[in-house]
Amino acid sequence: MLEVSLEPLALETTTFQAGDTVRVTVSFRYRVGVDTRLNLLAAPYYANLFGKNIVEQCRGQTELFLEASPEESEQTAAVDMTLVPQSLGGIDNGAYGLVVWLRADGSTAGPWTLPGPIARAEQDNVLVVSGNSSGGMTDTFSSMMPMLLVMMLLGMVGPLLSEGSE
Amino acid sequence: METKLKTLELSLGGLRPLQDGSREYAPGWYVDPETGCPVFYDGETGLFHTLGGGIYIPLAYMNPAPKQVTLGPGERLKVSISYKYSGPAVSSATERFCVGVYGSFGFTEKIVGSNSRSLSQSTTPLTYTSEYTFTIPTGVGTDWDDIYCKISGGSPSVNESIFGYENALLIVGKDPTISDFRITDFVKV
Repeated sequence: MLEVSLEPLALETTTFQAGDTVRVTVSFRYRVGVDTRLNLLAAPYYANLFGKNIVEQCRGQTELFLEASPEESEQTAAVDMTLVPQSLGGIDNGAYGLVVWLRADGSTAGPWTLPGPIARAEQDNVLVVSGNSSGGMTDTFSSMMPMLLVMMLLGMVGPLLSEGSE
Repeated sequence: METKLKTLELSLGGLRPLQDGSREYAPGWYVDPETGCPVFYDGETGLFHTLGGGIYIPLAYMNPAPKQVTLGPGERLKVSISYKYSGPAVSSATERFCVGVYGSFGFTEKIVGSNSRSLSQSTTPLTYTSEYTFTIPTGVGTDWDDIYCKISGGSPSVNESIFGYENALLIVGKDPTISDFRITDFVKV
């Protein structure tokens, strides 16, 4: 027996430069009894031991108006998000997921918070961010931090050891 | 939004006056031919009862709806009923129309309407029709999907007849229902 199920096509991984503005388009079907305002949000996200986390500085948001429709209606909408460079406190180079979510007007629901959003769509590792400069004083200092810490520890422990051996 | 009128029809079957001695059933125990379970007919209420959870409860008067009507706040729903009556003339019988929630603890009425009705004397069953139009309120719950109608009371009092449909309505409330939410594209602008 042949079973066929239709799934949305996976999004293609795309590379963006830090500082780019990305327009995310969504589609959905809805029913609602009264005219309704919602918020559509989009953000890059990354995953770690504590779960999925959006890059707040890059979150985009737009207001969405849904006309009352007791019968199911199709709707498309778009929201822009800016990949704020890391030097401005934004996103680092690397691969990120993309999440969009719908929430009620006035709600502060995140994509994975409880109570959850009205709707959410996401895909892992679909945004590749590059173009953040790897040089600069801050980056140099950051990369040297572990070595500096070891040297400081040795500097503190060394005299104690030498006192103990006398 | 344009206000639409949607319709739902129910049939209450046949009615008799309470004083009518020619009952179809005498009070007592019967066996349900469908299930083989014993059922008790209460001559006072005119209802069959069955044993459930240690108590005798009336047999279900709610039925699967033949169709489902989609409704939203501000829309109007016209419920039509029909029934047959034979017996003495009855004045001021009450036709009651209810939209609500039917569950384990019975029917919780949310919107109610009623008509007063006089029935003519007749030795043969006469068909009566009636209707009531509800306007769905803004605060409608999405679980207000059941409906029942009954006719009762009057002078002389008619034998109460009740009939309902489960899941007759698909309520579209003030909270949106979203499906097939997906990212279709993302591009640099």
